Amino acid sequence: MTARSVVRVTLLIFVVLMVQQTVMVALRLGGAHPDLLWLIPISAALMDGPETGAIVGFWAGLAFDLVLPTPFGLSALVGCLLGYATGALTKAVDPRAAWLKPVAALAGSVAADMLFAVLGAILGQDQMVQINFLSLFLVVGLSSVILVLPVSRFMRWALAGENNRRSLVSAQTDSRIW
Amino acid sequence: MARSRRSRRTLTVIVLVVVSLSLISLDLNGRTHSLTSGIKSAANDVYSPLRQGVVDLISPIGNFFAGAFDYGAVQSQNEQLQKAIGQLRATQAERGFEQNQLRQLTQLENLPFLPSLPVVTAQTQDEYSSNFTATITLDKGRADGVDVGYPVVGAGGLVGQVIQSFHHTCVVRLITDGQSKVGVTFGPGNLYTAIVDGQGPGSDLTADLVPPHTPVRKGEHLYTSGLNAAEYPAGIPVATVSNFHTAAGASQESITVEPSANLSELSYVDVVQWVPPT
Repeated sequence: MTARSVVRVTLLIFVVLMVQQTVMVALRLGGAHPDLLWLIPISAALMDGPETGAIVGFWAGLAFDLVLPTPFGLSALVGCLLGYATGALTKAVDPRAAWLKPVAALAGSVAADMLFAVLGAILGQDQMVQINFLSLFLVVGLSSVILVLPVSRFMRWALAGENNRRSLVSAQTDSRIW
Repeated sequence: MARSRRSRRTLTVIVLVVVSLSLISLDLNGRTHSLTSGIKSAANDVYSPLRQGVVDLISPIGNFFAGAFDYGAVQSQNEQLQKAIGQLRATQAERGFEQNQLRQLTQLENLPFLPSLPVVTAQTQDEYSSNFTATITLDKGRADGVDVGYPVVGAGGLVGQVIQSFHHTCVVRLITDGQSKVGVTFGPGNLYTAIVDGQGPGSDLTADLVPPHTPVRKGEHLYTSGLNAAEYPAGIPVATVSNFHTAAGASQESITVEPSANLSELSYVDVVQWVPPT
């Protein structure tokens, strides 16, 4: 990643964190609210592969860990694994496919929440599995499908100039979607 | 070339996973927790004013739309609030004398009584910031005399306990959180004891460790016990009984309770500066 991309990704993480903690937390439905955090590694991985997905996911998770009451480092761990898994699993998929981003956002967000809860419970935070998972998956999954498009658009801006095949192709795909 | 790229990628992920796991162990280890807590505290000092600035900026827009779409409900709520304020003022005036007498009596008896304890009034900045915990963030922290372990009361009863305290903010675990456990007493002369267990946000609480066929009635109030090593002073309303039964052969009575405090109305709360007696 170039220095310019690092600065832009940092700015993007900060903006997403602010939007999450001011707007998204207020949109509670059935005890759950949308979670923008997971969209950062997902969109980075779709744009620039598993390594960038893991790195961006780690730093985004760490930023969220600073303000969340959950164990410090847990979001970073899940974000890193999510970014890597998304990049690795979608490597063979045609990045121009219109279904790729919504499906990756839906599956990735639900899987990340599940992993987050299970790891939390293993670490002694039993309350993390004492929630209504159905409403959590519905709210987080559906909101991710909608919000992955703007987040991806900002991520494409942040990672512009990385000389990767996906960012160029995604630019065309996104312009069609928008 | 492709192989070396793959190796580098794997190495990067392994390093990041190891760093994450190290941070988690540092946070969960009692001896090194202060390190991660210090980092969080410093970050919160920077983040909280920024967040408040964004909230101040966007809340008028949100309020405008909420008011425009729900004007009837807002008006009706306002009328109900005016009525409630009038009733409370009347009740307060009537009970002033009784409260004064009770305070004097408890001081004489040297019993812990909440109004005699110092409190810090705080405003709620943030509710349920994570989908996995029932917590709120308050605008008071260590600099204002708020420390970890202090009970938080408001809206009719016990709200929770401070679990993280930063310079100017703190995080409160609500009594509905799955990690919350509160020792309570109930019954005639506070004869019986139980543990009120949180079952996660949105779920009713349970009162555990109650022997089978203990006489309970619906609507009965449960108060903090204040027994030895208790985390809360005695006498704070915690919950009311909503349902109970004893299954055949069960080792304890199954009691479902509802929080006494209205946890959906937590704009302002009181942090009680109370430390368990050693």
